[in-house]
Amino acid sequence: MSKNEREEELRIGVFICHCGLNIAGVIDIQELVEFAKTLPDVVYVKDNRYTCADPGQEEIRKGIKEHNLNRVVVAACSPRMHEPTFRRTVSEAGLNPYLFEMANIREFSSWCHSSNPKEATEKAKDLIKMAVAKARLLRPLETMEVPVINKALIIGGGIAGISAALDLAEMGFKVYLLEKSESIGGHMAQLDKTFPTLDCSICIEGPKMVDVGRHPNIQIISYADLISVSGYVGNFKVKIRKNPRYVIEENCTGCGECRDVCPIEYPNEWDMNLGVRKAISVPFDQAVPLVYRINKDYCIECYKCVDACGARQAIDFEQQPEEIELEVGAIIVATGYDIYLPYDNPLYGYGKYANVITSLEFERLILAAGPTGGKVIRASDGKKPKSVVFVQCVGSRDIGKYPYCSNFCCMYTLKHVVQLKEKYKDDIEVYVFYMDMRSNFKGYEEFYQRARELGANFIRGRVSRIFENPKTNNLIVRAEDTALGKPIEIEAEMVVLATAAIPKKGSEELSRILNLTRGANGFFMESHPKLKPMDAPTDGIFLAGACQGPKDIPYSVSQGSGAASRAATVLSKSTWKIEPIIAVVDPEKCRNVHTKCGICAQKCPYGAIKIVENQPAQVIAAMCHGCGTCVAECPADAITQMHFTDAQIIAQIRAALETNPEDKIVAFLCNWCAYAGADLAGTSRLEYPPNIRPIRVMCSGRVDRDFVLEAFRLGAAGVMVGACHLPYDCHYISGNWKMKARMDALAPMLHKLGLSPERFRVEYISAAEGVKFAQVVTEMTEQLKALGKDKIKAENQKLRPILENMLKRKKII
Amino acid sequence: MKTLKVDTDETLTLEWRLHVKDYKLILDKKKCVGCEICSLACPKEAIKLEKLEKTSDKQHVKVDIDLEKCNFCGICDVLCPFGAIRVTLNGEHLVSVVEKESFPELIREITVDESKCPINCRECEDACPLGLIKILRVTTDGKVVEDIDNLSDGEKAKLKVKVEIEIDKCPCCGVCEDKCPENAINVNRIFYGKMIIHEDKCPEGCKDCLEVCPTQALYLSENGKVHVNEKFCVYCGACKIVCPVKDALEVERTSINHTPVRSGVWNKTLEKLTSPIIVTKELKAKSSRRARESVEKRLGWKVGLHEQE
Repeated sequence: MSKNEREEELRIGVFICHCGLNIAGVIDIQELVEFAKTLPDVVYVKDNRYTCADPGQEEIRKGIKEHNLNRVVVAACSPRMHEPTFRRTVSEAGLNPYLFEMANIREFSSWCHSSNPKEATEKAKDLIKMAVAKARLLRPLETMEVPVINKALIIGGGIAGISAALDLAEMGFKVYLLEKSESIGGHMAQLDKTFPTLDCSICIEGPKMVDVGRHPNIQIISYADLISVSGYVGNFKVKIRKNPRYVIEENCTGCGECRDVCPIEYPNEWDMNLGVRKAISVPFDQAVPLVYRINKDYCIECYKCVDACGARQAIDFEQQPEEIELEVGAIIVATGYDIYLPYDNPLYGYGKYANVITSLEFERLILAAGPTGGKVIRASDGKKPKSVVFVQCVGSRDIGKYPYCSNFCCMYTLKHVVQLKEKYKDDIEVYVFYMDMRSNFKGYEEFYQRARELGANFIRGRVSRIFENPKTNNLIVRAEDTALGKPIEIEAEMVVLATAAIPKKGSEELSRILNLTRGANGFFMESHPKLKPMDAPTDGIFLAGACQGPKDIPYSVSQGSGAASRAATVLSKSTWKIEPIIAVVDPEKCRNVHTKCGICAQKCPYGAIKIVENQPAQVIAAMCHGCGTCVAECPADAITQMHFTDAQIIAQIRAALETNPEDKIVAFLCNWCAYAGADLAGTSRLEYPPNIRPIRVMCSGRVDRDFVLEAFRLGAAGVMVGACHLPYDCHYISGNWKMKARMDALAPMLHKLGLSPERFRVEYISAAEGVKFAQVVTEMTEQLKALGKDKIKAENQKLRPILENMLKRKKII
Repeated sequence: MKTLKVDTDETLTLEWRLHVKDYKLILDKKKCVGCEICSLACPKEAIKLEKLEKTSDKQHVKVDIDLEKCNFCGICDVLCPFGAIRVTLNGEHLVSVVEKESFPELIREITVDESKCPINCRECEDACPLGLIKILRVTTDGKVVEDIDNLSDGEKAKLKVKVEIEIDKCPCCGVCEDKCPENAINVNRIFYGKMIIHEDKCPEGCKDCLEVCPTQALYLSENGKVHVNEKFCVYCGACKIVCPVKDALEVERTSINHTPVRSGVWNKTLEKLTSPIIVTKELKAKSSRRARESVEKRLGWKVGLHEQE
């Protein structure tokens, strides 16, 4: 803050919107205008029919110019609706957009207290007073720009990652495609045919894999692990460890002569361990890159391969892991899924009975290049089964295991049915036990019809148990036929389990490295389920394919392309703009200079704070998302969140509680959930008591305990903190958890000091829970009424000196 | 895939049961003498020997194979002097390391001149400490005659003696050769080496080594201490495993009779079974042989170094 700014005379303009009759129909606008004029530093007040419409915006611009306004308050609808609009308006008139503040008198007043116009007007006055109080302390902020590295990292080389890589490469961006296993291709390369067209899977994916391998803009980094990612949108620094193959990539021609002489075989995981591979081999013939690998877990080091390789000298038993560092501007996560192996469910006998297999194992059996050469045979005796039972929803849609639907099992089972029936005709009996047949995309329902017409038996009902006849190794499948309402028992020679698609192993570690959030089912969370389905909560990181939830091939391909285009919105820019609502450390106050502190760095959900011993904490601006959690946590109050400073929020609290504090509830609402829920209560015209005074924060993690203390010091009847639901809903990853820990410690302290527990509440309210918000306010108001004003006043009397002491110590009063 | 490990009193079985392939390793505990060869040789260090508390039971050592580490390569099968380990694929005895020439086979050379065998003699059968020899009397048309005691001398003269030896389980100790009164048997050893007992270190009255020696290489001398008869020692090291004292026993192998091979794993195994010096020697011999072979090829005549080998 320069001396000039500090001494600048404040000239605030307040613009009050009628919103047609939406506001004016309930609230006495004239009274508001008169009231606003009385507020300190307000030099101009104007009401408009529609402030957001062109004439209304013009009034603001005119007001700024004619009256030399340097702060603007608009009392209208929710800032979630029109804050961006009015920021643009004021900046068009030459005012810094952050010198603008909004009072939400529509959603928070006229719409939710329509039967009580007098109270609604009173509340609107308070809301304007609070907005003006904050506006007086607003400071101009500059949007930051960071340079963008025009390269992308794609994590996972399945069909989603391949699609994304090819699209980005074709747009002209350099792409690093990181693959954990030896070859790209993912699950799709394991499949025999694809539904509903029955194309051969590797025949359509293979050429794509080759394209990726040959593309001049794509570099495949296979058999490698992601170690760390630092930096921020446009400027990520990525560390990767390439695991040793003991074969030099550049020298290996992929001829396979080494494999032929190798004496050692081991189960091929890529074949679902049905078949074997050599200790030096590729997992499958179409592997890309076609580079052999020695598995030292099994190799006996006879060096026959070295002899076979000869002059090519591609084999190096001394190879070490290699660490590489990349710089990229955007990251696409396309790590896919794993298949659940139901060893832990004794009902199905998987792992116990030889002839119970999973669908992916069946896929490897029926595949011509698979371990049996395409013969569907039983493990127990090597014979072709005469009857096969398919069991759907093994693990999926199971409350005790994975409650979600795995999306593609119905369709691949239909594919297996069609394949078996077309291959073996009447020589095979096929039964499918299903819960619901989900065939809801293009051509899928027709495919279901085709399977039915081929004569497979579809039985609606959940399998309760599978037994084995130990003599024949046949299986007895017990289920309920819900169509007949009777139990049913079928003897089959083979059982195929359609098991759940589950989050990829290592998702937890990846979520830690990339700051991704995971949903209740463990898949990665998108930023918004409808409008940002491919964006991760961290800027510059995008999601594609089944890592976000089970998806079939066409869906994964579209998402891969979608994520590529989302990533291109970053990569195609030379610089990236960052909202300046970030945390700033005051080096004079930071305790880390003389003691070991670092609390802010620990609490930052984004790892955006750097701690160096004996130096003040350092916020990496581009990584800071502006939640304000560190600000609230800092024991020395050395951190400030721009645009949501302590001083601004305390000014709002004081303005709210200036009159009749013991009637009022101060509510701190997080922008994304609780505030949005309160907005929804308004838009839904749900009525609740008008005594609540909401204060908007970006994240509940911002709510400092001092705010609560100050509100009670001033005599508030109640304080409420509204946050996103635990555990995963927070838009800043874990700000709500940090707030919870803080308030869990504060509440018992306040009770001990004599505060009735009903006066302080933490509530988790989603953007969809307008009803809940209204209920909570109503309930809390009733409780406070039951408590009685006198009791509240008495408690306050007792509390005040203690709180005053505490706040004085922190120099807040 | 199913992986199984079944441990019974008679066998230890490891198995990989894949959809169409079934890998098995069977350790025959009756044949296993608890020597150190397999555990030294295993390239994956999957085999561990554990000395058991001494009981009246015969077994002194427990052999355990780690299913996590074993890769069914069959090196233990190849090297076991007593043929106690068998590796199979789909039930067939198959050692891929031998098949692919990644590992040599032990050479067990036993020749018996059956024409020298007297018809009544069973010395070798009785002498074999492992019971691997069976004496058969067969008629000219190949029929086996079980009981010859009641036959007349004339009838006996018409019979021939056949000596059957279970050669794949034979450690080639040479007891039979020594005991044969007619010098009809010639045994070439598999392992050559040195064995010393430091009598001064032996605890009073200890016969642990003697009890486990599978051949007759050890005997109780008059002073109550165990002595070595190196003539019959196969250098298997079973004695060393059970010896309660450090350094009382020294078993050193200096040469192993095996088929020729060029293999890294064999060099390493040889080093573990013998010593680095022996490996160097063998490699030198190999390279000089190769040099000789190339000279022979080029010049078209024999260099005449055969004797040196």
